[in-house]
Amino acid sequence: MIRYFLPLALLATASAVSAQQQPGTPAATVIAIPPLTSPDSGTRGNQMLQIGWQATQQIEADLRQTAELMPLKPNRDDYYSYPEVTAPTFSKWRSAGAKALVTGFVQSRSDGRLTVGCYVYDVDKGRELARKGFVIAPSEWRRAAHKCSGLAYTALTGAPGIFDTKIAYVAETGAPGNRSKRIAVMDSDGNDARFVTGGEMNVLSPRFAPNTTTLAYVSFVGDKPNVRVLDLASGKERPLIPADAITFSPRFSPDGSKIVFSMMVGPNCDIYIVNAAGGLPQRLTTSPAIDTSPSFSPDGTKIVFESDRSGSQQLYVMNADGSNERRLSFGNGWYAAPAWSPDGEWIAFTRRGADGRRIGLIKADGTGERVLTTGPADDGPSWAPSSREILFQRTDTAGRSGLFRIALAGSDPRQVALPQDASDPDWSGVVE
Amino acid sequence: MMRKTLILIALALTASNAQAQLFPFLGQRPGQRGAPVVQGIDALRAEFAAQSGGTTIYYPANGVTIGAPAKAVLAAQAAWLRRHPEIVVRIEGYGDGGDTRDHALAVGARRAAEVRDYLVLLGVPAAQVSMTSWGKEKPGLGRAVTVLVR
Repeated sequence: MIRYFLPLALLATASAVSAQQQPGTPAATVIAIPPLTSPDSGTRGNQMLQIGWQATQQIEADLRQTAELMPLKPNRDDYYSYPEVTAPTFSKWRSAGAKALVTGFVQSRSDGRLTVGCYVYDVDKGRELARKGFVIAPSEWRRAAHKCSGLAYTALTGAPGIFDTKIAYVAETGAPGNRSKRIAVMDSDGNDARFVTGGEMNVLSPRFAPNTTTLAYVSFVGDKPNVRVLDLASGKERPLIPADAITFSPRFSPDGSKIVFSMMVGPNCDIYIVNAAGGLPQRLTTSPAIDTSPSFSPDGTKIVFESDRSGSQQLYVMNADGSNERRLSFGNGWYAAPAWSPDGEWIAFTRRGADGRRIGLIKADGTGERVLTTGPADDGPSWAPSSREILFQRTDTAGRSGLFRIALAGSDPRQVALPQDASDPDWSGVVE
Repeated sequence: MMRKTLILIALALTASNAQAQLFPFLGQRPGQRGAPVVQGIDALRAEFAAQSGGTTIYYPANGVTIGAPAKAVLAAQAAWLRRHPEIVVRIEGYGDGGDTRDHALAVGARRAAEVRDYLVLLGVPAAQVSMTSWGKEKPGLGRAVTVLVR
C-alpha cells in the first residue's frame, strides 16, 4: 500500500495554463517531464535513478494518452539535479515551449522502501501548483508514477486523474456467432491484464464496485442470464439474488452499498434494487414495458434508465427510491444504455436509428444533446473518472468488436490495444 | 411498434411432411407405441419437431406478439407436450442483432415468456416449461425456440 507522507492539499485546481484552452478546442498543454532524480549517491543513487527513469517514462505514457496534455519526450541523459526539483529553472522550460512541468525524486529509506516525491509547476507563472509524496515498496514504482500523473492531470485540468484506475471488459475469442467470452480486468494503461472468469460460460456486462475489488457481472450459468457478484481478491462469487430468475444489467450505487439491476417476472422486465451484501430486492419500476440499463447519479439520489413504455426506447430519470419518474430524451430513434458521468453533468447513451448505433450525450437536465461517434455499431458507453472521455465498444461489419476511447472535447476515437476482441467495457473510479 | 402486424414464419423441417405420410401413427396414436422411455432425446426432438411443424417461431424486429401462424405451431407443440408429460422443455428467446445489449436480453426473455405462457394456456403444465433469453448472443433473426431438455 502507498502511504502519503506529505499531507499537503493540492494548491491549485485550475491554472492559467488550462484556462487558455477554449471549450471544444483540443489544444493540448505542453508539459515537460525531466527524469526523476535522487538525493542518494553511489550505487544506491544509480539504483534510484534507474527506478526514477522507469517512473518518468510511465508518467510520460500516462499523460500522452490524455487529450489535454502533450508531454515533451523526456531524455535520460538530461540529468536533473535534486535542488532543481523544488527550485526549477523556469526560463529553461519556457524556451523549450513547455507550459507546465513535472519534477520528482526517488529516495531510498532505511527500511528498504522508497520515497517518491512529485511536484507540478505552472511554467509561465513560475509557480508550484501541487506536490505529493508516497512511500512505496520498490516494486510499486508504477503505481507511484500513476499517482504522480494523476496529480499533474488534476492540477492542470481540474478533473480527477484516470491513471491509477482499472478497466473491466469481456474478452472474446473464436468465430463470430460462436464466441468464447471471459471477463478481463486490467489497469487503465493496459498493464496487468488478467482473466477473472473461465471461458466455459458465456458472460456479459462486468461492473466495478467503487472499491474496484468487487465485480458484478452477468453469467449464463444454468443456461439463464443471471447477475453474480465476484470478489476479485479471493475469486469467490455468489448469485446476486438466490431466486431462479432472469437478471441482468447490474450497476453499483456510488457508495457501493446497493446494486440496481433488471429482472424478468413473467413477460415483464423491471428495475430492482438490492443490498450489495444480499437480501430481498425492492422493485423500483412498475411499467409493463421493458425498463432496463439503470445507472446512478454520482450523488446516489437519482437513477437514469431506458424504457420502451412510449413505444420506442427512451431515457428516463427517477429518484433512487423509484419515485418521480420523468422522461429525459425526446429525439428520433431508440435511446439505450445510459451512463451518468462521474461529475454529474452528462448522461452518455447509445442511440439506435436507421444509421446504426452511435454513442451520444445529453445533459442531466435534458438539454445539450449531441452525437459523439459515427457507428455503425457502437454500444456500451462507460465514463473515464475524469468525465472527459468515454470508453465504448464498436463492432465492425465482420462481427469483430473492440474497445475505443473518445474525448468529449472532440477527436477521432482511438482503439484500445488488446490481445483479443473485446466488448462491454467498464471504467472504474479513482481509488485513493 | 410492439403492436405492429407480425410476419411469422414457421420453420418446417424438410422431412416433416414426408415423415407424417410414411408413418401416420406418429401423429395419430401417440402414447400407444409402447416403451417411449427408451427413446433417446435426439429421437424425441426429431419427433417433436416433425409433429409440431417446427421448433422455432420468428418475430419481426422488436416484435414480441405471437401471430396466428405461430399459434398453430404452438398448438401442435402443446398437444405433443401434453402427451409427453415426462418431457421438460426450455423456451429460448433471442433478441435482435442490431439491438443494444440489455434491451436484446429483455426482448428475448419477453419472446420466450410469451411462448411459455401460450403453451401453459393450452394446457401444458407450467412445471414442464422453463424459459431463458440469449439476447443477441447468438446471431440470426429474432426468434423463440422450444428445446427439449429431457
